[in-house]
Amino acid sequence: MRLSDWTWLRPPALALAAAIHCSQAAIAQNVPLEERIAQCKACHGEDGNSRLERIPSIAGQPEFFILNQLVLMREGVRRVAAMTEAVKGLTDAEIEALAKYFANRPAKASDEPIDPELVKRGAELATKLRCGSCHAANMTGHQQIPRLAGQRVDYLIASLKDYRDNTRSGADTLMSVVVQGLADADLAALAHYSASR
Amino acid sequence: MSSAWWRRGAIAAGGFAFLAATVDPGVAQGPPPGFSPLDKTNVKASKQDETLRPHPTPPTVTPVEKIPVDKLRLPPGFKAEIWSSGHPGGRTMVRGSKGTIFMGTRLIGRVYAIVDKDGKREVKTLLQGLTQPNGLAFKDGSLYVFAIHRVLRFDNIEDKLDNPGEPVDLTDKFGLPDTIHHNWKYVAFGPDGKLYVQVGANCNICEVNPGTHAHIRRYNADGSGMEIVARGVRNTVGFDWHPVTKELWFTDNGRDWAGDAGPEDELNRIAKGQEGANYGFPYCHAQGIPDPDIRVPNPCAGTVLPAALLGPHSAGLGILFYTGNMFPASYKNVAFIARRGSWNRTQKFGYDVVVARTSGGKATIEPFMTGLLDAKKNEFYGRPTYLLQMPDGSLLVSDEQNGAIYRISYGPKTAGK
Repeated sequence: MRLSDWTWLRPPALALAAAIHCSQAAIAQNVPLEERIAQCKACHGEDGNSRLERIPSIAGQPEFFILNQLVLMREGVRRVAAMTEAVKGLTDAEIEALAKYFANRPAKASDEPIDPELVKRGAELATKLRCGSCHAANMTGHQQIPRLAGQRVDYLIASLKDYRDNTRSGADTLMSVVVQGLADADLAALAHYSASR
Repeated sequence: MSSAWWRRGAIAAGGFAFLAATVDPGVAQGPPPGFSPLDKTNVKASKQDETLRPHPTPPTVTPVEKIPVDKLRLPPGFKAEIWSSGHPGGRTMVRGSKGTIFMGTRLIGRVYAIVDKDGKREVKTLLQGLTQPNGLAFKDGSLYVFAIHRVLRFDNIEDKLDNPGEPVDLTDKFGLPDTIHHNWKYVAFGPDGKLYVQVGANCNICEVNPGTHAHIRRYNADGSGMEIVARGVRNTVGFDWHPVTKELWFTDNGRDWAGDAGPEDELNRIAKGQEGANYGFPYCHAQGIPDPDIRVPNPCAGTVLPAALLGPHSAGLGILFYTGNMFPASYKNVAFIARRGSWNRTQKFGYDVVVARTSGGKATIEPFMTGLLDAKKNEFYGRPTYLLQMPDGSLLVSDEQNGAIYRISYGPKTAGK
């Protein structure tokens, strides 16, 4: 039984954005890996580096991180509307293959403008909040912890807000503590700093 | 990807990124703009390796041949075998009156039902898509499921394992805080018929409202009549009642980022007539250590000190008083405690099951099930989380890291194995 249908959580804004930009077509089960990868690329970028608003880059993410998130989405724990059809029926083996594939694509920086003032402010905040302890000093991620370096700024801001406002389903409980009480401007600074690494 | 690195050697767990907010303790008017008002962790002062982070828990099935049952070491006469597997992230275990073992999880959000079928175990994914449904209790045919912020009751559940149907939603009745950190639940029915519920501190180290956080509560089964039975409890994730004295004993996980050496995790007792007592958080830890980041005068005044220490960062979770007849008489009424193992410590510690022999308000700790930690390589192979006594007196131990349950038995036939 799947309990996600009657959740109280609202779908995050990024899911709506994704639904507008990308195909919502249901994906048949038992499709070849190449087809699965092509489906991912339709939204996340031909090389796994997203050029679409609020769609995250997945190239160069730690393999365990991609694996973990795809399982959580398949299970209905992390609920992202635009991903619902894509992850339906994925087997562990398929998820492992997708994770391996995208973890091994080179990460490229987002083409969004980076504000140097916000980067400076974000660097101070990141030091105080010790982002590098888990995300690694250069924000490249580690095991279950995502890469933030080069990530899309708009996606990072949306994610940080969801953590702070407790609107991200299947969320890491510790992140909610770290960003608790931060102002929108602080989240923007953290996003610009992380993306600029 | 069967040779994936996290299945080999240094297996890890936790599944959560950790970031502690470093807040200047000298600010009188609350923290400066831009800093979390909650957590008072001062990592620099801890002098610990700042890159320590929780170990991930595999969300996929560990193949039977990779489950490290051969590494387990037990006292003479005891034997360990794989009782079931193929339930990733499985932690808490409760047994239904018809013999179903229900298993709660954290990140993967599932509740499993394990049944005997032709002498083998069949694992069903009973529920899916919950937020960290770690808290399970069974009474009068009903399964109570406590996820973060939600309480669900499935009536006559053992007759409906293939289609549990709509639960009774008790979330509003229980009115638990909606904060998520340290709020994956541990729950159990006490000998008084009340349902005991953990509410952890929403931080590593912070001031809490003792009326809402960092305590153990009890309720009537319908969510009415809430009372706080222990305060100043940072995060208990396991408790049980002494079979003779009927007093509640609970594990409590100590704070992080105050040094590799501790403060150590605690084993505590609520003495008869002392319901509502204070166990020290956030001011006083372990055997009376004042908190280094939140300083107050007389930090340990009025604090009940632990019955025993469970080791630095060892993560003592499930506790079970043994009442069976299979084990030697010297194990009668002693507590078994599963220690999931450390992350906030350079040299790993725990990853085992210990025995606590209680006497009055104190306890002594001795090893029981070891072998999942290679201290020399500083690697671990599994993470014991919870315990369950079976009707035949054998002991089930869940290994969250490998999605497996081990069965510990004792008998002359098994001696030497």
